[in-house]
Amino acid sequence: MKIEMISFGKIAEFISNQNIDVDGIADTDAFKQYLENQFPALKSMKYKLALNKNIVQENTTINNNATIAIMPPFSGG
Amino acid sequence: MSAERYNRQIILKGFGEEAQQLLLRAKVLVIGAGGLGCPALQYLAAAGIGHIGIVDDDAIALSNLHRQILFTTADIGKLKVEVAAKRLQEMNTQIGIIRHPIRLQKNNILDIISRYDYILDGTDNFESRYLINDACALLNKPLIFAAVSGFEGQLAIFNTPDHLMPSTNYRDLFPIPPDKGEIPNCAENGVIGVLPGILGTMAAAETIKLIARIGQPLTNKILSYNLLTQEQYTIGISRGEGYTLPKTVDEFLNMNYQDTNEKPQSYIEIDANELVKLQQLESVILIDVRERHEVPVLDKQIFTQVPMSEFGAFMTKEFYQKHVVLICQHGIRSVAAAEAMQEKYGDAKKIYSLKGGIVKWRDHFLRS
Repeated sequence: MKIEMISFGKIAEFISNQNIDVDGIADTDAFKQYLENQFPALKSMKYKLALNKNIVQENTTINNNATIAIMPPFSGG
Repeated sequence: MSAERYNRQIILKGFGEEAQQLLLRAKVLVIGAGGLGCPALQYLAAAGIGHIGIVDDDAIALSNLHRQILFTTADIGKLKVEVAAKRLQEMNTQIGIIRHPIRLQKNNILDIISRYDYILDGTDNFESRYLINDACALLNKPLIFAAVSGFEGQLAIFNTPDHLMPSTNYRDLFPIPPDKGEIPNCAENGVIGVLPGILGTMAAAETIKLIARIGQPLTNKILSYNLLTQEQYTIGISRGEGYTLPKTVDEFLNMNYQDTNEKPQSYIEIDANELVKLQQLESVILIDVRERHEVPVLDKQIFTQVPMSEFGAFMTKEFYQKHVVLICQHGIRSVAAAEAMQEKYGDAKKIYSLKGGIVKWRDHFLRS
């Protein structure tokens, strides 16, 4: 399964934009678990995933060649 | 109305006299006259928004001037609202500027935003952002949201339904505020002046598009902007579930906006794979808290030895690393060390403890 990862803000400091090729990630819940294993710093952060440019509100199936964005909240002004 | 003043936009195909009238009849509240608010206010005033309210209780400081471009060196110490209102009024004498030199709170925000049609959030902290979001959702006010972090920005329009979807709000993206220190603000993290300039100007553009009913405003979308690459990434927002959004004035007044940060962030327990990942970070220190006689002996080039018996003394010294990984034989003493460090450093450092210790991950340590 090929997934393109795009990250923003503070998250981009430790997860660079990258293409991954992994097996066993069928849905966004599994992807979240994979991410937090790979990047433990995420566990203590608020962030939202977007699958193919749509915000993930519930567990969603991931298809091959999906793009997943990882977005933290910003408050600066 | 002086048609001459707005001539260049009235003659624009797709804008015209009708759109200009819509701007003149609109009432827009800009919250925060800072890096985002200044450029937004300038363009809204110049474009002929009929009534513009400005909320800010702050005075101008020297460190504001690199990005808050309504203010001059001579204005330092004066109230932002006063200086901004005066300057905008000089620029456009045909519009009404209303000063609100206050800090918005639960007990005054509903009264103020109920007097306006559109709310532009240019504040600089999560407390205000959640307060404003909830108040706008309660009163059904379109909210134009702009925020920056580092070299990036976010822009969105909330509480505005479009032809595809009912309205969404900030809590559909981030249901609860981050812990204090999780996301640094501009004062801690720094900001390049032109970034809020761009985002504030984009927020003004979205406000004008909404009012004049032109183009495709960012309703139910969030745009991420990167100054360093000039890339934009737009994500569709749908309604989330299971979060608290006050539905009545009573519920709103009972919400807690101030103390969202009371729970200290705690340390994180990790496994050996996560340890390997953390080792690759730039600013990391790996600390072995076992006593000096314990085996197996780890590579002292990689693992700094600070036995628990010396840990108190170590904590009195400063060290620069941001990430601290604590390791012991079974992952019990390292938890105690993590708790002590968490208490001392709070959000200033990220603390990790290897769960199960060296015994559990023996293969990993023998290999390396």
